[in-house]
Amino acid sequence: MSDRASAPVAVSEAPRIARRRSSDPMQPRTLVLLAFLLPALAFLVLFRLTPIVIAIGGSLFTQNLAGETSFGGLTNFAQLFGDERFWNSLKVTLTFNIIINPLQIAIAFCYALLVMAPGKGVTFFRAAFFLPMTLSTGLTAVLWNIMLDSNLGPVNAILEGIGIGRQPFFLSEHQALGTMIAIATWKGCGYWMIFLLAGLYRIPGELYEAARIDGASRWHQLVHITLPQMRRPLAFVFVADTAINFLFFAPVYIITKGGPNGATDLLMFRAYENAFTFINWGRSLALSTIILVIIGVIAAIELRLFRDKEGAEA
Amino acid sequence: MSVDRRSTVLALGTARYITMSLIALVLLLPLIWLVVSSLRPPADIFAHGSRLGWSMLIPDRLTLENYTSLLGTGFPRAVGNSLFVALTTMVVGVVVNAAAGFAFAVFDFRFKNVIFAFVLAAAMMPFEAIVIPLYILVQSLGLIDSYAALILPDLANGFVIFMFRQFFAGLPRELYEAARVDGASWGHIWLKIALPISWPVVLTGGIMLFMHQFEAFFWPLVATPSPEHTVVQVAIARNISLEGTEWGRLFSSTTLAGLVALVPFLLFQKFYIRNFVTSGLK
Repeated sequence: MSDRASAPVAVSEAPRIARRRSSDPMQPRTLVLLAFLLPALAFLVLFRLTPIVIAIGGSLFTQNLAGETSFGGLTNFAQLFGDERFWNSLKVTLTFNIIINPLQIAIAFCYALLVMAPGKGVTFFRAAFFLPMTLSTGLTAVLWNIMLDSNLGPVNAILEGIGIGRQPFFLSEHQALGTMIAIATWKGCGYWMIFLLAGLYRIPGELYEAARIDGASRWHQLVHITLPQMRRPLAFVFVADTAINFLFFAPVYIITKGGPNGATDLLMFRAYENAFTFINWGRSLALSTIILVIIGVIAAIELRLFRDKEGAEA
Repeated sequence: MSVDRRSTVLALGTARYITMSLIALVLLLPLIWLVVSSLRPPADIFAHGSRLGWSMLIPDRLTLENYTSLLGTGFPRAVGNSLFVALTTMVVGVVVNAAAGFAFAVFDFRFKNVIFAFVLAAAMMPFEAIVIPLYILVQSLGLIDSYAALILPDLANGFVIFMFRQFFAGLPRELYEAARVDGASWGHIWLKIALPISWPVVLTGGIMLFMHQFEAFFWPLVATPSPEHTVVQVAIARNISLEGTEWGRLFSSTTLAGLVALVPFLLFQKFYIRNFVTSGLK
């Protein structure tokens, strides 16, 4: 099995790694070096690298009805690409991400700008903005599923009370994905705010001083000083946020199971269902591979985008 | 001109506070409603909790019934499982990652840059992306439905290794050299000199490992199917999908699980945020 082989390779390579400088007391003996390095590296190779190998390797095997596996080449991928559910899921996942990532970062940036300057009670607001983040994604889903319940939920009671009328939210094909985005945004923005806040504090104050002397407006300062200076933190937050949202799973599992009518059928849930409901591992691993590739490509594009601008600036 | 400017500043300040208050309201009200609902008698929860008016947030009767009745369910066991798994991951994980971080910072060895790049790549890759192939791997190791299935894959963390490396590389080399000249072993230097100084990273990395494990959902959902090993997050989610859900208990258990994650954050938020964030931006 190819997945088993990868761990021992790293082990047997390792003893040759240490440079032998017995005279230098600052260089450890090989055994000492291994004692420090090997536990973490072995775990990373076994539980991070090996699963990727399994995903790619396993995606090439197919199962028949008796559960016997055989090499099928790209059969799983071909079947996926011929499956309407896959394309719907891909469309839903991309729509979800194209909306949620800029939205979360924009709101997080607003949070950070709001709580950046000192003032009365700002510490309270900063903590309040972060607080939903301490609720896990699963618990967020549990809470909002009840909050938005069509009969018993307080949100609908309020909407009815102020004359807007009850909304189906997760029960509607047209509202379910938007509601998912809303609850994930409710939870997630405070987390990214912290990173952006740290970035804002690193911008040298002299830049603003100079602009103020020149009589630049606050808006002008934001566009011409703050935003260019925030390129790196924004790039980091964008890449990290995209990776998380591409793997959005718990609320779909807990609330909608991909429905209604496939409206929230995100790729990660598709992969889960193929593996644990339909017991079709080959197809599930093909989906895992596709997700890994998409995340890698998007991270590369985002990093390139932010770097190019930086290069053009300099 | 200056009066004009002063009034602009005042208007902006007021607008700022109004905006912040509105956001805080949207973020906090659901949490307040959750806690308040958990303290209502089950019969009152939706009778009063979902009618527009002050009764929504101000209960007329308070009770701990929803909390005490949790004792007879599988919830205490799930809390115990979560805490055991998260604390073990935290303690062992800090040791394993601090050791690797130390090696990358202090030792010189072949392929160091390549191996470190691999660690960084592992740090960038989100864990959930590999849950399904990881299931196949852990199954072939015979570990499905055990504590080991939850703990082992979460111990090594590229980001925590990175944080430790940054910290140890920032310490003056003389510190290690002096101890080496005195004949101290590397293990001694690491345990008795480096680790104690790095306590802010120990704390930050420890909380990260704890939180990641405690808040995990997808992996524990598939890796430990039996009630014996069920963790809090999965236990609560399973309750909601059961027919005739006990709403009162759902509120109290969600509140409790939220509190466990909140406590380390409140205690250590200063260190946590400073260390976590600054290393992320380098």
